[in-house]
Amino acid sequence: MSAALRSLPRQVLRQALRVAGTVLPVMLGVVTAVFFLLRLVPGDPAVMILGDRATPQALAELRAKLGLDAPLWQQYTDFVSGVLTRGDTGDSLVTGVPTAELVLSRAPVSLGIVALALMLVLAIAVPLALAAANRPDGFVDQLVRIVPTITLGMPLFWIGLLLIIVFAVNLGWFPVGGVGAAGSAPFEPVRSLVLPALAVALGMAPPLIRSLRAQLLEVTEAEFVTTLRAARIPERQIRWRHVLRGAALPTLNLLSVNLAYLIGGTLVVEKVFGINGLGTLLFQSISTRDFPVVQTIALYCAILVVLVTLVAQLLSALIDPRLRGAR
Amino acid sequence: MTPNSQRALVALALAATLGLAGCAPAAQGGGSEPAPTAGGTLTYGRLASANDLDLHTQITANNAFAIDKIFESLVSFDEHGKIIDWLAKSHEISADGLTYTFTLREGLKYSDGSDVQASDVKFSLERNLAKQGPLTLTAPISEIVTDDAAGTVVMTLGEAYTPFLSELTSFSAGVLPTDFGGKTEEDFFKAPVGTGPFAVSEWDPAGDLNFVKNEHYWQDGKPLLDGLDYVFVADDNQLLQRLNAGQIDAVEQVPAANADAVENGEATKLLKSDSWAIEQVFFNTQKPEFADVHVRRAVAQALDLPGITQATTFGTARAASSLIPPAIEYSAADAFDAKPVLTHDVDAAKQELAKSDFADGFEATMLIPSGNSARAQIAQVVQESLAPLGIDVQIESIDLASFRERFKAFDYDFMINSGQSDAPDPNGLVTFQADPEGFSNSFWTHYTNPEVTKLMHEGRTTADGPEREQIYTDIQRILAGDVPYIPVYYSPNLHGTTAKVHGLESLPNGSVRFQDAWVEAK
Repeated sequence: MSAALRSLPRQVLRQALRVAGTVLPVMLGVVTAVFFLLRLVPGDPAVMILGDRATPQALAELRAKLGLDAPLWQQYTDFVSGVLTRGDTGDSLVTGVPTAELVLSRAPVSLGIVALALMLVLAIAVPLALAAANRPDGFVDQLVRIVPTITLGMPLFWIGLLLIIVFAVNLGWFPVGGVGAAGSAPFEPVRSLVLPALAVALGMAPPLIRSLRAQLLEVTEAEFVTTLRAARIPERQIRWRHVLRGAALPTLNLLSVNLAYLIGGTLVVEKVFGINGLGTLLFQSISTRDFPVVQTIALYCAILVVLVTLVAQLLSALIDPRLRGAR
Repeated sequence: MTPNSQRALVALALAATLGLAGCAPAAQGGGSEPAPTAGGTLTYGRLASANDLDLHTQITANNAFAIDKIFESLVSFDEHGKIIDWLAKSHEISADGLTYTFTLREGLKYSDGSDVQASDVKFSLERNLAKQGPLTLTAPISEIVTDDAAGTVVMTLGEAYTPFLSELTSFSAGVLPTDFGGKTEEDFFKAPVGTGPFAVSEWDPAGDLNFVKNEHYWQDGKPLLDGLDYVFVADDNQLLQRLNAGQIDAVEQVPAANADAVENGEATKLLKSDSWAIEQVFFNTQKPEFADVHVRRAVAQALDLPGITQATTFGTARAASSLIPPAIEYSAADAFDAKPVLTHDVDAAKQELAKSDFADGFEATMLIPSGNSARAQIAQVVQESLAPLGIDVQIESIDLASFRERFKAFDYDFMINSGQSDAPDPNGLVTFQADPEGFSNSFWTHYTNPEVTKLMHEGRTTADGPEREQIYTDIQRILAGDVPYIPVYYSPNLHGTTAKVHGLESLPNGSVRFQDAWVEAK
C-alpha cells in the first residue's frame, strides 16, 4: 500500500496532463458541434423574445443589439475566442445575464441531484447485488432479475410522476416539487431532492445490479478465492476484502460510463419535479433559442464528464494495483 | 408518452389525492365568505419566468403580467374589458376626437415614496413612442402638454383615432419617473419604480420574481398582501400537483383538461373569465387552393365548431362565430350565433368545393406547434372532417420557434394559431388580422379585401356609437364570409387557486389583479 501511495502523485500528474491534453479538444469539439447544430435548427431568438406582433424594424434592432446580424463564422469565432482568452461564455440573449452566472447559479441543485442519485444507486445496487450473488437463482436473485427489468422499461419522467403521486401527494413525505422555498427548514432543500434523485437512481440501478452481480459471481469462482478458502480465511473476510474489491472495478467503470445517463436523467427529472436547475434552464434556453446559454451548459457538462472520468481512472488505479504504471 | 397520457396521469393523481370525498365542491354549504385579512404572501405558479421588465420593449405574457404589477397607466379596464379611470381620476375627449385631457389623482406616489408628476406621463409616453416596441402607441399623437401644478395631461392627435383610449390602457402606456429617477435605464429596469401595487424585491430573470407590497399605493389599504411571489415551474403537471398539495397558492394557467378537477377539487378553486384571445385556423391565401374563397368556405362548412370546441376544451370554451371575441366591444358573436354567416353543413361544403377549381379535392399540410395538445386534437378533427371532401390533410407538428419561423415566411398551407387583442377595442385584432398594408400581411394569410381595408380606416376615425358598431359588424360579416381564417373558439382564461385564496380578479387579457387578494391563515 505504501508503494502505491508513493507512486500516486506521479500518477496524478501524468493523468492530469493526459486529461489536459484531451479536455481542450473535447471542449472545442463540443462547443463547435453545439454551436452549429443549434444554428441549423430553425427559429429566431428575436421572435421568441418579442413575440408574434413585433414589427420587422423592432426585430431587426433587437438582432443587431444581440449581435445576431453578424455573419455566423464571426459569431462562432467571437464565442470561441471569448471562452479561450477570457473564459467568458457571453450573455444570455433572453435575460442579458452572463451565461456563466446563470449556469453556476443552477449547478448546485443539479449536482445535488447527481450526487444524491449516485449515493442512492449505490445504496440500492450493492446490497441487492451482494444478496443476489450470495445465492444464485435464489429468491433475491430472481427478484433482482425481474423487478429491475420493469423499471428499466419505464421512461424516467414516468417513474418521477409515480414517485410524486405515491410519496408526495398521497403519503406527503416529500414536497411535490421545487427546492425548499426561502426561509424553509435547512434540511428542506435536501428533502426535496430525494424523489428526483431516487427517480434517476431507479432508472440507473438495473444495469449496475446485473453487472455487479455477474462480477461478484465471477470473482467468487476465481482461483485466488479458492486459494484463500483453502487457506481457511474466514468467508466473511474473503467476501468483503477480496471479492467485493475485485468486483468494484468494473462497476466503477460502468458507473463512469453511465455518467451521461446520470446527467441526462437529472436534466429530465428536473422538469418533472419543477426544479429550476440546469435541466430546466437548458429546456428553457433551447425553446427560446437562447444560444449562448445552451452552448455554455454543453461546455460545462463536457468539462464535468471529463473530470469525472479522470476521477474514475484515479480510483481504478487505487483499487487495482495492476493498472498503476501500466500506461 | 403523449401529452394526453400525461394528463390522464395527472387526472389520476388528482383523483387519488382528493379521494372519494373530493367530489363535493368545498364552497357549497358554507355560505358566507370569511372576512378579508391583510398580510401574508401569495405564491403564484407560472410556466415561464419574467426575464425583462422594460414596459416599452416587452409584450409576451411572462413579462407583461409582471410589468403590469409595477407600472400603471392613466386608464385601465375591468374584468369585463370596460375602460375605467386609473391613475387619472377623470378624462375628457373633445367633440372632434382630437384632444384628450386627463387629470391625475391627487397625492399619487411611486413605490419609492416620490411624487408622480404630470410631466412623468409625457416622459413615459414619449419613450414608448421612441422605442417603437411591440406594443407602441399607434395613435397619431402630435403633442403632449402637461401641467404639474394642475396635474393635467393634454394630448392632441393629428387626426381622430378612436382606439386611442383603449391603447392607453396597456401596461406599456404605464407611468415611470422622468429620467428614470436619476438612474441609468439599465439600472432602473433591474429594480423598477412605478405606481403599481407591488415593487420588485428579488428577481432571478430565469427563475422566480418576488414582489413586496407598495406601501405608497394609491388605493387605500391595498394591496392586502405583504408580498407576492411569482414561482417559476416549467411543467404544467407539476404546477397543478403543487397547487393541489397546497405548496403554492395559485396557478396562472390550468389546462382545459384539468379545469373540472380544479373546480371540483376539495382544496382548489377555478377562476375563469372571458378573454381577448381566439383560437383560429389560418389559411395561407398565397397557396392556389386556399386563394380560392370557395375552398376556404367549404373547409369552414365542413367543420363542426361547437363539437370541436366541446371536445378539445372540455366544455371550458365557447365556439366562435366571429373574429371579435364577446369580451371586446362591438363583437358580433352573439348576433352571428343566432344567424351565422356560414353553418356547419357537409353537403353545402361539398357544393361549395364543387364551385372551386379544386372540385376533386387536393392535398394540404396543416402546421401546428408541438406541445399543445388542444391544437393537435383540433388538427386531427380537421383532418377527419375534410376527408369526405377529398381534401387529404397531413399534420405537421413542429416546435414553437420553428413554427413561428415557418408561418412568418409564408411557408405553410394552413395552420392553427391564436389571435389575441391587447386592448378592449376591435381595431387591434382587425388591424393585425385583416390589414394587407401592415407588416403581418393580415397575420401572414396575405388576405386582401379593399372593402375591409376601407372599413378598417373608417372604424379608427369614427367616434364610438352605433355608427362605429355598424362598421365593425360589417367587417366581421365580410370576414366570416371570406374566411381568411376560421375562428374556432373563444379561449377562456383559466386560473386555479387553493380554497384559502380570495379576491383575485381575472382580467380579459390573461392577467390577474392582486390588489384585493388575500390568503386565509394556514
